[in-house]
Amino acid sequence: MVDDERAIRLLCRVNLAASGMEVIEAADGRAGLELARKERPDLVLLDVMMPDVDGWTVARELAEGMETRDIPVVFLTARADTADKRLGEQLGGVGYLVKPFDPVAIGDYVEDVLSRIERGEREQLRREISSGRER
Amino acid sequence: MAVTPEQVLDAILTEGVRAAEARAGSIGVVSEDGERIELLAQIGYRPEVMEDWQEFRVDAPTPMSDVIRTGEPIFISSVQERNRLYPSLAQVGQEDGHALVVVPLAVEGRVFGAISLSFDHDIEFEPERREMKIALARQAAQAITRSRLYAAEQAMRERMTFLAEASQLLASSLDYNRTLRRLAQLCVPRLADWCAIDMVDEDGGIERLAVAHEDPEKVKWAYELQERYPPDPDAQRGVPQVLRSGEPDFLPTIPEQLLEDAIGDDHELRRIVDELGLKSSIAVPLIARGRTLGALSLIAAERHPVFTAADLELAIELGRRAAVAVDNARLYREAERGANAARALAYVADGVVLLDRDGTVRHWNPAAAAITGVSEDDALGRPVAEVVPAWDSLTTHVQLLAPGSAPRPVTVPIVVGGHERWVAVSGVKFGGGTVYALQDVTEERALEKTRSDFVATASHELRTPLAAVYGAVRTLRRDDVQLSESDKAQFLEMIESEATRLAKIVDQILVAGQLDAGAVELELTECNPAEVAAGVIESAATHVPESISLSLDAREPPQIACDPNKLRQVLVNLVDNAVKYSPDGGAVVLRVRGDNGSCRIDVLDEGLGIPSGEQSRIFEKFYRLDPQQTHGVGGSGLGLYICKELVERMDGRLTVESEPGKGSRFSVVLPVRA
Repeated sequence: MVDDERAIRLLCRVNLAASGMEVIEAADGRAGLELARKERPDLVLLDVMMPDVDGWTVARELAEGMETRDIPVVFLTARADTADKRLGEQLGGVGYLVKPFDPVAIGDYVEDVLSRIERGEREQLRREISSGRER
Repeated sequence: MAVTPEQVLDAILTEGVRAAEARAGSIGVVSEDGERIELLAQIGYRPEVMEDWQEFRVDAPTPMSDVIRTGEPIFISSVQERNRLYPSLAQVGQEDGHALVVVPLAVEGRVFGAISLSFDHDIEFEPERREMKIALARQAAQAITRSRLYAAEQAMRERMTFLAEASQLLASSLDYNRTLRRLAQLCVPRLADWCAIDMVDEDGGIERLAVAHEDPEKVKWAYELQERYPPDPDAQRGVPQVLRSGEPDFLPTIPEQLLEDAIGDDHELRRIVDELGLKSSIAVPLIARGRTLGALSLIAAERHPVFTAADLELAIELGRRAAVAVDNARLYREAERGANAARALAYVADGVVLLDRDGTVRHWNPAAAAITGVSEDDALGRPVAEVVPAWDSLTTHVQLLAPGSAPRPVTVPIVVGGHERWVAVSGVKFGGGTVYALQDVTEERALEKTRSDFVATASHELRTPLAAVYGAVRTLRRDDVQLSESDKAQFLEMIESEATRLAKIVDQILVAGQLDAGAVELELTECNPAEVAAGVIESAATHVPESISLSLDAREPPQIACDPNKLRQVLVNLVDNAVKYSPDGGAVVLRVRGDNGSCRIDVLDEGLGIPSGEQSRIFEKFYRLDPQQTHGVGGSGLGLYICKELVERMDGRLTVESEPGKGSRFSVVLPVRA
């Protein structure tokens, strides 16, 4: 979970934990990159607007790294423009959640994404980002 | 003293008849075209005899015709001899016909007429008597020639005088309509009985500008007539033909048939035409610079003799001079109008570009020069595609309208001097070309963009605290999960602080709106800036990160006149910014000093700093240091704008000094209380 807003991190951690997931957190882009490289999480929830290194940069660098390119990235951001979603898709995201979101549903959402990736639908998930299907 | 040629002829003939002891005599002169002989003087003949002999052909079988053709005198002794020589004259003047002498009138060998004398008895002409008659004729010829020359000179002088007067009149005013009306007046009755001037109007129609006659009643009548019988613009004669061909139309004698054709069966018209008594007409074009502007018509009717070639010449010259005067007046008026229009357009903020039909620039006002970056001198007279290479793309989507329609501008970008400018273009097509109006909407567009940026920014800014509040409430209401007490407390606290953050953003939007509308009221009172600063530090200290060291440095500052609440608002904002832009921590100092009659409050930090290019812009409304806003340092883009507005409303100044990577210093300078 990479987000500079403590409140958002807390929301995600509590609700994902309720679904039995383990959450590790970073408060900015640089820390998030380091953490992802080190821990190789099953999925990254990534904010976009962060000081210094933003979420786009994090996603790009993860996609370029040999060890991190397979880690699925779900953007979780206040940026709701179509152009932003398209960028998220181009950067290889598998999901795009716009704030405000329902944290209660986030556990089920992440499970769904992971199982679809397992079924080989990663590319389809990516295309769904800008195809207008709301989550 | 004899003054007119006619009087001279009469005097000569009378004297000749008396000296020769003749019974009667006549003088015939060859007409201008050389084909006819006109009897200009006669004496002693019975009128009924002469009735048919006022004018006859040069090749007619008569003694006078023969004399004029051969230049040799004829002496006939008796009527028997005459009838033998000229059988066709056998019936003429038979009862009193006797001897007859016809002698040529010649000057420098050229025969221009003949004098004939009839006697009341038969005469065998002795040689000396013949010589006498010839000598008499020679003297007569000289006298006639002299008088004719004199008359011609007189006529010439009159024409010159008339032309001089006309020229003076034509030059007297630029109101050529009025001048031409006066010119028509000048022509009657000296040049003709009637004078009319017709002009070609803008649509190619014929407009009667003036009709003149000595009698104003007749003029009125002529206009009525024109109304009742409008001229046929396709007529093959007269003014329409002159206007079409640019050639004069001269009818020395208006043929009867022509009038008959015009009259047809119209009895009323026949009465009018008979009353007018039209004899002779001249219509000449008014031509200047190859264009036929109108026509001048002269008519000889009840008084004026029929027109001669000299009259036609005079009319042509008059028409030429009138045309030049009209042309000059029009050119002057156009130039003046153009100059006035140019003067007015020089002050219009919109760019005005006039292209002729070939796309050549004919007008380029200063605003057009400013918008396109091309000076008037560089644009005028050149094809617009050369002047502004992007012109085609600039105007390709512009729908050209008819004059008078509401403009429908199209906004397009052009690059001027390396900068992109947005220009609203509209165009109107008219007969002479196209007028384009260019409006530089770069600033409006930039403002529009910052506005829409702001809406996007504001929505981003509102989404995060909303997400926190909504998410906390949703999580707290989960009944499938047992939350720890500390988590619950954190969520409640989150709701409170994020709701406060939301309120603050909404507040700023409101305040900025009020500042714009001038609706913010300040209460200027005496206050101690150090106290206000201390309060700001105190409240900020409760929520700054531990990495920030916050301190107040106030040394005996002077009392100032300000609104303490608004000053607090400004300082809170500046301190918040200092903290926000110091993500790596550092010192944030609030320093208050008296400074040369004013009070200076500095907010110093050691944070990110502001690039020098941006320093002047950060106080602009909606301006954000990081417009992509990907770097998360949130805000509405209104904080500094509000601060500056408030400080200036307290008669103070807000400035910034900064070095990227080293930190910033924001300074509020307020006047010391008087």
